[in-house]
Amino acid sequence: MPRKPSGHRLLPVRPLTFSPFARSVARVATAYMVKHHVRDAMQHSAGDEFKKLKKVDRQSESSEDEEFDGVVEADFAFFDPKPEDFHGVKTLLQSYHDNKEWDLSGFVDLILGQTTVGTVVKLEDDEDKGVFSIITALNLGRYKDHKCISELKEFLLKLCLEKDKIGNLRSLLGDKAQDVGLLVSQRVVNLPPELLPHLYDALFDEILWATEDEPTEELRNSFRFKFYIVVSKIYKHKNANQKRTSSTDKDDAFIYIKPEEEILHKLSMWSFLFPLQTQQVVAHELKDYQLNGIVMAVKAEGISSFRQQLRTLISES
Amino acid sequence: MATRIQFENSCEVGVFSKLTNAYCLVAIGGSENFYSAFESELADVIPVVKTSIAGTRIIGRLCAGNKNGLLVPHNTTDQELQHLRNSLPDQVVVQRIEEKLSALGNCIACNDHVALTHTDLDKETEEIIADVLGVEVFRQTIAGNILVGSYCAFSNRGGLVHPHTSIEDLDELSTLLQVPLVAGTINRGSEVIAAGMTVNDWTAFCGSDTTATELSVIESVFKLREAQPTAIVEEMRKSLIDSYV
Repeated sequence: MPRKPSGHRLLPVRPLTFSPFARSVARVATAYMVKHHVRDAMQHSAGDEFKKLKKVDRQSESSEDEEFDGVVEADFAFFDPKPEDFHGVKTLLQSYHDNKEWDLSGFVDLILGQTTVGTVVKLEDDEDKGVFSIITALNLGRYKDHKCISELKEFLLKLCLEKDKIGNLRSLLGDKAQDVGLLVSQRVVNLPPELLPHLYDALFDEILWATEDEPTEELRNSFRFKFYIVVSKIYKHKNANQKRTSSTDKDDAFIYIKPEEEILHKLSMWSFLFPLQTQQVVAHELKDYQLNGIVMAVKAEGISSFRQQLRTLISES
Repeated sequence: MATRIQFENSCEVGVFSKLTNAYCLVAIGGSENFYSAFESELADVIPVVKTSIAGTRIIGRLCAGNKNGLLVPHNTTDQELQHLRNSLPDQVVVQRIEEKLSALGNCIACNDHVALTHTDLDKETEEIIADVLGVEVFRQTIAGNILVGSYCAFSNRGGLVHPHTSIEDLDELSTLLQVPLVAGTINRGSEVIAAGMTVNDWTAFCGSDTTATELSVIESVFKLREAQPTAIVEEMRKSLIDSYV
């Protein structure tokens, strides 16, 4: 078949993709999403649980067409995990285990398979179906045969360098695994904190409903968690181990990336830190701090206090 | 043969590597598993070179090349350029080009004979591509996307393009490229083909999320097995996203 040698060909007319100007207009148009409904309390409906949330409205002026001054109004909605959320959730959990290779895809499949407990936060009518946050609790005993869970247990046991905690960890991951829930919560950094109390309320309410609604006795019991394990990252002050006088008290020993972890850390039975291997880009304000991984174990009885404290914390800030 | 691998838990292997018929570039970092996967397949045949480009690991998306040459963006450092010139075979011309669209891997898709480029590429760059890589250059879009280097991957034997490419576009592209094309996905439904895989005439590397169906499509369109392509197409008629051209 003869091929035309010239480099320029007549292309079929396709709007808005060719010129740089058209592309920037298209970019501004999609970023400017205006929704004007305000919804109040959460509604719980059976089937596809779909809780609407108060519109997050940082500033009252709306942005103009040409000028994009950084104000975007959006409606976040909570959804049950679905298989189509795979890529979004996987991206959020990319650094869950530092940079170690493990069965992350299997882990994400596990989370998405558990539709009764677990919430995915997306924009209400988003075409791109971008996932903004994922929260769920996985019973370590129920899923102990899955490769990702056994790899996770191995990693955690290897990472625990503190002798007094390793016994506790081993028992929670081993014989007490049936009562232990792995609390997985990950979000984009700019997710509005107003969503957090609702997100955690949603999770713990779903756990409670699952203990009543699940079809089999075994499944119902699997949600009667006595302990929760949280794996996350925090910033620790490099000089935290030294004795500090009152003049340096203004530097906190720990800085928490996620605000609820401060509460969880205080309520935890025990916790340990472990060093991370990935290289970190350190902001100037954080130059005295080092990013560490942390594993915390929280008793289930402490959860109602946690929810209360979280609500107070968020409404204050 | 198509192999599934991952780079540090990411399935976007086409971002961290660049595979051609004469050489293979691999990003630094990650575990040794990534590098050794390439080494075990390619070591005796072509050099596997560890490198960075512009200090980053996303080398597959920043550079474009084939057996005749390699084009790197203007922000490649002198040391990196020298390292590439030293490590690659002598017949491969390594050229740094001044082009404002510096992610050359996203803007240019090429095999040893033809290149498809971003519509806004400079005229000078087009000439350098034709000269250094020894190819005919066509400005094209794929399913309405101008980043042709991201949404298709092709070798001298076949090609895989964005799943939403229409039949007419497939025909047109196939005529230009003179290879059979299939519209499909990689890594469990991802549309960014070239980010998820890297391919040459006898082997391909795909992200570990790639399903068995996707892998079969890849092995058949790029003729990586010795089996008859038509037989495979008949077997998998229902699961193929589009027809064979």
